[in-house]
Amino acid sequence: MGVLPGVKSPREPDEERLLRRAARGDRAAFEELYRRTAPWLAVRLRRRCADDQIVAEVMQETYLAVWRAAGSFAGGVAGGSAVGWVWTIAVRRLVDAFRRRAHHAQPPAEMRVPLSAPAAEEEALAGTLGDSVGDALRTLAPELRQVLQAMVLDGLSVRETAILLGLPEGTVKTRARRARIAMREALS
Amino acid sequence: MGHVSEHLLAGYVAGGVLPGDQEWAVEGHLEKCGQCRARLAGAAGPSVTDLVGGVWAGLEPHLAAPPQPRPRRTVAWLRGWATPVMVPWLLMVIAVGALAVLLDQIYDGSRPSFVLLLSPVLPVFGVAASWTRGLDPSYELTAATPRAGLELVLRRTTAVLTPVLAVLLAAGWLTGAWIGFGLLPSLAFATGTLALGTFVGIAWAASILIGLWLGALVVPTVSFGGSVLLAPATWPGWLAAVAVFAGFIVFRRDTFTRLAAQH
Repeated sequence: MGVLPGVKSPREPDEERLLRRAARGDRAAFEELYRRTAPWLAVRLRRRCADDQIVAEVMQETYLAVWRAAGSFAGGVAGGSAVGWVWTIAVRRLVDAFRRRAHHAQPPAEMRVPLSAPAAEEEALAGTLGDSVGDALRTLAPELRQVLQAMVLDGLSVRETAILLGLPEGTVKTRARRARIAMREALS
Repeated sequence: MGHVSEHLLAGYVAGGVLPGDQEWAVEGHLEKCGQCRARLAGAAGPSVTDLVGGVWAGLEPHLAAPPQPRPRRTVAWLRGWATPVMVPWLLMVIAVGALAVLLDQIYDGSRPSFVLLLSPVLPVFGVAASWTRGLDPSYELTAATPRAGLELVLRRTTAVLTPVLAVLLAAGWLTGAWIGFGLLPSLAFATGTLALGTFVGIAWAASILIGLWLGALVVPTVSFGGSVLLAPATWPGWLAAVAVFAGFIVFRRDTFTRLAAQH
């Protein structure tokens, strides 16, 4: 995955610095971090969970954990991404929330309003992934891609993926294997 | 290479289906690009704004408590080697070592060396303190962890032996010649405690060895002015004892995991 050249103005502290300041008890830094990342997190979570109440609950738990444990990030691996860290916490909290509600679990908000196919010139971003990977992903069956996305992009385990997607673990394993084979064939 | 297009961003925010590679690219890009996250916040409708505001309102009362302090690496590392219970015992061992040196300096040459006499038994106290139910309030908790067993026992023994041997070395250096020999009996007693501990538990093993030390070393030294066992010529014997005990520990290492549940 390509990294874009940094275009941030040097005066603006980045998220990692905000997190480190929050770890020292700086409320304002935490508030700024929240202002910058919360809309993104809300949108990303809503794409995986249709119930806004669960999303709100997960976000609250996530940011509370971020505030309380900010020190463990600041003391953690150098060069880690603060935003990625927040997402790692959030997606696990989401899985936990699904697990708690296992008896009335609902599938995530996949396939709601289909978007009109984007125009060719708007596919410039596909370059981010590399053409061959992009093609391979596009041709992948949606249910396989879903599994691959949860496991690779969200970094979840098989069990967590099964809870997130509301599938049996065996199905997740089979689909992951099929997705791997399909990707390997498409890339070779 | 570019940023996420308006159209794509709007589709992403709306929660609609995107072609697989694009959804993947958008999520990957948003995680890295602060600008696009800011644009996303601008593009988000009132439902997202309300959600974000609502969560903040719920979050605010909890922020009064300050964040947890950053975990200290050295402290975490030390905990893998020693328990706080060992600290008073270690201090005692060091103090006894220092006193022995002092006494040796005062009674220069007129009686057998206190350092030599005390050195075998000093680490035994430390080893006992590191793995005994009666001395460690968190013994059951420790014994129930997957780390319990020979490795943890050896780690703690090492944590005890290192300062003790340092004290003994310094004491030997201060009092004179026999540095190398003085360490052998203490090593033998420490490994002996562990080896015997595989049969009867560390606490009992320590008591038995302290008894042995009194009977075989202290009493003869006090009554006859010296014990044959502490003569420097006995070093092959002590070395053999260390080797035998160490072999025993390795041979019976499985006992420690079971032993942990009993003693």
